Amino acid sequence: MDRSTRSLDRHALVMAIWLAFGFVGLVLFDRGLGAGGVPAIAAAFGMVLAAFAGHIVVNAAYGTTFTRGELALGLVLYATGLVALGVATLFSPDFATRHFLAFSLGFLAVFAGVIFYMVTHFGVRRVFTAFDAIRDFRPHGGDTP
Amino acid sequence: MTTLIVTVLGFFFAYGIYIAARSARAEGRPETFLDAGLEVPPWGYIFAGTGVVLAGLNLNDHFLLVARYGLQAGHLAVGLVLVALCGALVQKRLWLAARITRLRTLGELVGEYFGSVAIRIYLLFVLFLFSVPLAAYCLAETGVLVSAASGGDIPASLAIWVTAFFLFLGSVIGGWRGVIYGVAAQGFLALTLLVFMGGVTATTLDGLAFLSQSPADGTLWDRVPGVAQFTDGIGKETPAGGVWTTVAILTFALALGGLVLSPGFAFLGITTSTRKGFAFMQVWMTAGLAAGALLLVSPVIGAEIAAAPDGSSPFAPLLSRLASAGQLVPVAFLLMLVISLQIAVAFYVASGASIATSELVTRYMLPELSGSQEKLAARVALASIYLCIAMAATFAPLGAAVFSSLALSLSVQLLPAYLGLCWLPWISRSGVLAGLVLGIILVVFMEPPGLIAFEGLFIELPWGRWPLTIHSAGWGLAFNLAACLLVSFFTRSGAERERRQRLHDEFAANYRAEIGGRAASGAMWSLTLTWAFLALGPGAILGNTFFSQPILAGTTVTLGVPSLLVWQVMFWFLGVFIVWWLAYRARMSIVDAAPRHTIVLAPRGNRLERQPTPAWISRLLGRLAER
Repeated sequence: MDRSTRSLDRHALVMAIWLAFGFVGLVLFDRGLGAGGVPAIAAAFGMVLAAFAGHIVVNAAYGTTFTRGELALGLVLYATGLVALGVATLFSPDFATRHFLAFSLGFLAVFAGVIFYMVTHFGVRRVFTAFDAIRDFRPHGGDTP
Repeated sequence: MTTLIVTVLGFFFAYGIYIAARSARAEGRPETFLDAGLEVPPWGYIFAGTGVVLAGLNLNDHFLLVARYGLQAGHLAVGLVLVALCGALVQKRLWLAARITRLRTLGELVGEYFGSVAIRIYLLFVLFLFSVPLAAYCLAETGVLVSAASGGDIPASLAIWVTAFFLFLGSVIGGWRGVIYGVAAQGFLALTLLVFMGGVTATTLDGLAFLSQSPADGTLWDRVPGVAQFTDGIGKETPAGGVWTTVAILTFALALGGLVLSPGFAFLGITTSTRKGFAFMQVWMTAGLAAGALLLVSPVIGAEIAAAPDGSSPFAPLLSRLASAGQLVPVAFLLMLVISLQIAVAFYVASGASIATSELVTRYMLPELSGSQEKLAARVALASIYLCIAMAATFAPLGAAVFSSLALSLSVQLLPAYLGLCWLPWISRSGVLAGLVLGIILVVFMEPPGLIAFEGLFIELPWGRWPLTIHSAGWGLAFNLAACLLVSFFTRSGAERERRQRLHDEFAANYRAEIGGRAASGAMWSLTLTWAFLALGPGAILGNTFFSQPILAGTTVTLGVPSLLVWQVMFWFLGVFIVWWLAYRARMSIVDAAPRHTIVLAPRGNRLERQPTPAWISRLLGRLAER
């Protein structure tokens, strides 16, 4: 099997996983914003984490890691979600009282899941280096003490 | 809700086109359009196969049956374990035989193995039944569902043509690989939604409360109405307490085996790239997740449908109840039903077009086609079939339903041929053909097409559909197997046997099943048969009161759920264990090494190897081409 077919196989599988879990997650978010409350929102974030775990399993099975496009899309969606949470909290008092805590904890759980994956996959040192912004401002790319 | 439905369905159509376009860009040679270069990924087989099994059972019809007959119809979900057993019996050896002989369709394989053109033609006929009437029936149901859910805002005919167009577009762009990617994604989504709906219904709906009610027509909702009933059949005499006696359940489960024995499903198995995936799909996905979810979810959903007032759409009250849980929940339920129907349409049409191109066009009609011409031929076949099914679904949905009733029952009549190819070299061509003839006659005359045609043309028949509450597949298979064994007994040796034996020698030398010694083998098959007897066969009648009125206890136990449901769940668990034992431990679905040798089944000089174009086809083509 050539590389492009293998890459397509992986992409299609990742899409299938996100499509299924993502849609169910969306339905649960909708339910959570209505009568479902905290349990439905928690289940929705659970679906997101399940899809993320499935994506990691696919990466392991195909011997790959997240592609640049996937990382970019993930970051954009996460950032959009956070902004939406902020806007909803500011402009909807009902949302702020009923759902803010559940959504905040959910976003925190997703962040914790990503950090856990990075630590277990890359090691603490490499993860710290990736987020070490101060190092980037040092002369010579931060290599000298 | 109409806007939401259109948005969600439109999104999934867009996904289908996207994945098909990606697939088309990655395809190297034009020939791979038909069979994905025999490199369908194992996960594609796992998810697509499970989706096709769920779609073959038809979720929509299954929920309606459970709503009408209660737990006796819900028992059919245990039949999916039998489907998995059928898969374990044949899938691995079919894949091996295809790789050893370098043949790529079931028709080529079985036709050359038995040296029979008649069996090939029969396979094409079964393929036609799946690709046209059954696909048209599913497409028609899609239209009705979408129309009912949108309150008539979307006409059924519009839904049918739009669905057919987008499914056609996905198939014609992406070829077999693109279709499998789409079907696999939909299959996984359908399964996820089925499990999800279980959770939602458990928290939103009334659960199993309906089982305490007694329907006015005397149907037994919480029990199986006997081992068998001596009735003339549906349409002539109504069985007391319901249709689903134990023999009806067993024989219907046998008919479901026709799903994995169908030419399309065999093509999916053959075109799968590696030997991984067979066991996983059979044990955990089909027997495990699909059967279990269906067993537990369908009674609750069936209860809500049963509560629908007469004259209204059967799903309308359920959808409005689900809407109280969130506006997307009813859309998710509708999507589950619609995509399970779309799986059937996309899969059976695409497999039909690929196999027909390979078996009919490039073999008999235009053998000198180049790769790109073959691709064009497959696209023309796809367009023709989609046009046919869209027209049939719009203008003749009843006709499609009538003819689709034959598909599963006629497909399972291939069991003796499969057994011969995979396990028993002494099953001869004459035996298979004799069995097929009897099986076909019985099936056709116990299903609507035969009954309607005969009674319309000649005289009233004394039986109806499924006499003695035995499904037509059961009648056909019993006589088919008996005739096949009898004729094979007298014709088991000779030159033909030597050709067949070569394949089995290769199996015995390099791909033996590891069932164990005689004791282990005996134990395994005894356990399987005992399970089938108690789970689906006459023994299932014990489940009616086994847990609520235990034998010898002399008392009644309050379980909170019907005894039959506990029996079903218990035998579902045991069934998963048996399939696991056969597929993994006995290695019936595990291939340790890819084939190294190639065997030519048809020796030189054999008329099948020469592939002559029949004279009538040559003449027809000559007339058309020379004008």
